[in-house]
Amino acid sequence: MEELRAEVRAWIAANHPGDPGFKLPQGPLEVESDRQFHWLRDWQRKLYDAGYVGAEWPTEYGGGGRARGSQRVIDQELTRGRAPFLINIVALSWAGPMILRYGTEAHKRKFIAPLLRCDEIWCQGFSEPGAGSDLASLRTSAMREGDSYRIDGHKVWTTLGRYADWCILLARTDPASAKHAGISYFLAPMKVPGVEVLPLVKMTGEGGFNQVIYSGARVPADLLLGRESQGWELATATLQFERGAAEGSAGGMGGGGEQVARAVALTRTVGRDADPVVRDRLAAFWIHETALRANAQRSRVAGLVSDRPESLPLMQKLTSSEHTQALADFACELQGEAAGLWLGDPNALENAEWQRTYLNSFAGTIAGGTSEILRNILGERVLGLPKTR
Amino acid sequence: MNAHIHYEEEHALLRAEARRWLDERFPIARVRSLADSDSGEDPADWKELANLGWLGLVIPEKHGGAGLGAVHLAVLMEETGRRLVPSPLLPQTLAALALVLDGSDAQRDRWLPAIASGEARVVYARGASVSGAERADAFVVPVRDGVEVVERGGAAKLAVAPELVLDRTRRSARVTRNGVALGAAEPSARLTAWACLALAAEMAGGADALLAMTAAYATTREQFGKPIGSFQAVKHPLVNVLIGVEGLRSLVYAAASALDAQSPDAETLARMAKAQASDVYPFAASRAVQLHGGFGFTLDCDAHLYLKRAQTTRPAFGDALAQRAWLAERLPG
Repeated sequence: MEELRAEVRAWIAANHPGDPGFKLPQGPLEVESDRQFHWLRDWQRKLYDAGYVGAEWPTEYGGGGRARGSQRVIDQELTRGRAPFLINIVALSWAGPMILRYGTEAHKRKFIAPLLRCDEIWCQGFSEPGAGSDLASLRTSAMREGDSYRIDGHKVWTTLGRYADWCILLARTDPASAKHAGISYFLAPMKVPGVEVLPLVKMTGEGGFNQVIYSGARVPADLLLGRESQGWELATATLQFERGAAEGSAGGMGGGGEQVARAVALTRTVGRDADPVVRDRLAAFWIHETALRANAQRSRVAGLVSDRPESLPLMQKLTSSEHTQALADFACELQGEAAGLWLGDPNALENAEWQRTYLNSFAGTIAGGTSEILRNILGERVLGLPKTR
Repeated sequence: MNAHIHYEEEHALLRAEARRWLDERFPIARVRSLADSDSGEDPADWKELANLGWLGLVIPEKHGGAGLGAVHLAVLMEETGRRLVPSPLLPQTLAALALVLDGSDAQRDRWLPAIASGEARVVYARGASVSGAERADAFVVPVRDGVEVVERGGAAKLAVAPELVLDRTRRSARVTRNGVALGAAEPSARLTAWACLALAAEMAGGADALLAMTAAYATTREQFGKPIGSFQAVKHPLVNVLIGVEGLRSLVYAAASALDAQSPDAETLARMAKAQASDVYPFAASRAVQLHGGFGFTLDCDAHLYLKRAQTTRPAFGDALAQRAWLAERLPG
């Protein structure tokens, strides 16, 4: 692994694409222009061609077939080398792993290689206007008509929806059944009649986020993942991947990296690096960041998680997103009045990236299960507390 | 900051053995009765701790100890912390560490075998309030470039006056030599790191026990016709304790692994662990009392036993503020 680490480190030093000369999004949620999209797609392709995307996935479907643990080393080095993020996040980290685990041989042959190479983009159709934290109350319907399903409904918070070719879609195949039953899981095409993508604008002013209206769109019956009415189980498995609670990502999950070090640099810029109160706060963030890294280490040590095996995986997204949010907020506070400046202002500090990080951090504490829902899950599954509902 | 964690079968075996023995030996009713007793401990326990090899856990084999490392120590401390073991195991372990890390050959030859066998009561002393002092035969005191071993009944005139303590499972006394407290020098960096690790591990065990106790109570205690643990106002603070405890355990084992590997990050990680412990243990204790409601602040509820231990252990080798002040001089970036 150390050889691989050195190889990736050297590769990124030689192949970092540098500054594109236009505003890059901070993450896949903010991809709003074709220019950004193409640049990021080219970057993922380049990484794939170097063998750094899907490094552990089976070679027969286009993966690298490397040893377990390789992708983590690669991701860590890409993060350390400040490489741009991988745009096809839904595909690499949850749709793809789901297809590998639950898909048919035909699904794997059809979907895996194109998603790794970024030839096909994936999005996720879970949430609806009336079904957020209470996801199982979703109402989008999928009615079997011949050899296909007819989809009608309304999905929201669709990252990459505008560019997506495919969607992991939850819809109700049995409207008569109880809430969690009757939901099915589709590998649904996006670029077909009856699928309309409408943009949403986030509080940063950026797009890239969408809602999707389905009106009679067709999904071939062989693109059902698993069985009819197995959707809730598959949705739960997907969320485990999305929250980083299950391993199997094809890349792009390198973690937050050395965020505290960046905040320390900011204290020097603003002349507050000698303030003991500021330093105390930074030390607390440093401890927390180190604890999160140590959690990741310990989660792979069976003897040290046997008392509560689900605990660390289930809290991974919760703790890292709240850390990022608190640190970004502190970094904004450190700036004094400059905290009120926004991207492009000549007097903004670090081009207001911390402000942008702070606003965007709420995606982390809301998407894929809010922090509140995750606390319920931890309380119930790990501490054995009675259900809240 | 690398945080590689090393944990093998031998560590798991020590944990299983320790947990089984401690569960049997120190049910909370016995801990309470010892806490209520005059001496605060039972000499029979001391003999058993010696027989188990735990008094000499970190003492090299050539000095009659088990010669085990920091991860073993973390395991033992975590498990004893869970049970609030009423015995001077911790101050004696700190004395052993001080001798192993900073003592002279002559000091080690003289004292380590007697510590490992339980024959001599030797505790670490720095400052006026000394844990386990009343029955101690000698005190190991940090001095510049080493340690001094101050014997009871030696040439120096020692005064040892038992203190009235908050945590009656761990007794201390005021120790002065010719009217002056022992140990004006700072402990060495190595000793500080090992001590922070031992303390943080013990505190992790205590916090974890509180979490289990409070979660169990929230599952059975009913109000408004439901178990109170079904209310998010109860559930979420308990999860916050869980998050704190998990991070603490990770830092403890990262620090222990770094100490065993003689990594340059060891002291930093150990101080981080102690900082986290100093926040998490009192927090776990306060939530335990609070969430047990009216019962929680009676003497009958076990939560206060841990709360008192937490408050008492927090300052040892530096509380969270002191640790962060040290870390603040070494920030990344």
